[in-house]
Amino acid sequence: MAEYPRENPELIERLRDPKQCRQAFTEVIKLYTEPLYWQIRRMVQDHDDANDLLQNTFMKAWQSLENFRGDAKLSTWLYKIAINEAISHLDRERKRAGLSLDDQEAALANQIIADEHIDGDALAQKLRAAIATLPEKQRLVFNMKYYDDMKYEDMSEVLGTSVGALKTSYHLAVKKIEKYFEEHD
Amino acid sequence: MEEEKDLLTKIDRRDGMTVPEGYFADFAARMADSLPTIPFEQEGEATVKLVRAPRTLWQRVRPYVYMAAMFAGVWCMLKMFTNLTSTGSDQYLQPSATLAEALSNDTFFDEFVIDDVNQYDLMDEMMDNGVDVQWLNYEPEAEEPATVHTPADATPQMQQL
Repeated sequence: MAEYPRENPELIERLRDPKQCRQAFTEVIKLYTEPLYWQIRRMVQDHDDANDLLQNTFMKAWQSLENFRGDAKLSTWLYKIAINEAISHLDRERKRAGLSLDDQEAALANQIIADEHIDGDALAQKLRAAIATLPEKQRLVFNMKYYDDMKYEDMSEVLGTSVGALKTSYHLAVKKIEKYFEEHD
Repeated sequence: MEEEKDLLTKIDRRDGMTVPEGYFADFAARMADSLPTIPFEQEGEATVKLVRAPRTLWQRVRPYVYMAAMFAGVWCMLKMFTNLTSTGSDQYLQPSATLAEALSNDTFFDEFVIDDVNQYDLMDEMMDNGVDVQWLNYEPEAEEPATVHTPADATPQMQQL
């Protein structure tokens, strides 16, 4: 999976300069397309949905660029927008289909099996199905920690949750994944 | 925690998801092209134009010229008021013992002031001012022959006016 780019103060300065912001934002798109895509994709599973949500993410970031003061990290800011987009999308889909949260998790797990954009690693696919059964917050925390290797402190900024609560969420997520593997042996 | 490591180390961190070939490069290019113009950018352009616009000599001196014109206007108005006031005072007759003595002398007044007035001019002036001058020729006793009014006769009547 894509590594998160390091924070670049010079790039942030250019983003805040009206004359250079467009060119700088084009660089931001190139840098963050892949990591943000995977973050969204792991949430919604479907490639087309992830593509649409990624476009929305960048569009919202661009239109609210004026509000980005550089106080927070650029990656944190973009992550927040992307995750909010993904969660809003899942809520909309759940309401549209009249599903409960549990039903939606099961539906996501089934969607993984039917996904055409997937390679043949059975164990990885099983892990994805297990992750899809996790509650939304635990799924987010597990993805960020396991796939993106994000620090709890950074996660705390993105999700607005304490580091201790995030560690607990991750631990519970792992336990549930183990249980899933035991039950689906 | 040991169990966690055991399970997760067995699985490659690749999660098996794939994307169409060249997706990320295409996406970045498409996304960059589709970015609309935002107010933040326009603010920048406006700022640049403001900074680069050279100030002409007229623009620099204009405030001072306007201020000078205002003071000149005020000065002219004051001058005009002053002139009007002083003209009135110039026409005022200064107290003079000789003049007072002359005016108190009836003979002098009749001969040099009243006689000097043209009666017809005076009547024209009175008619212009809306005074009915017909009564000046009014004759209460019709049988009596018409008398010619001399300036001395007319004077008391005109003085009553």
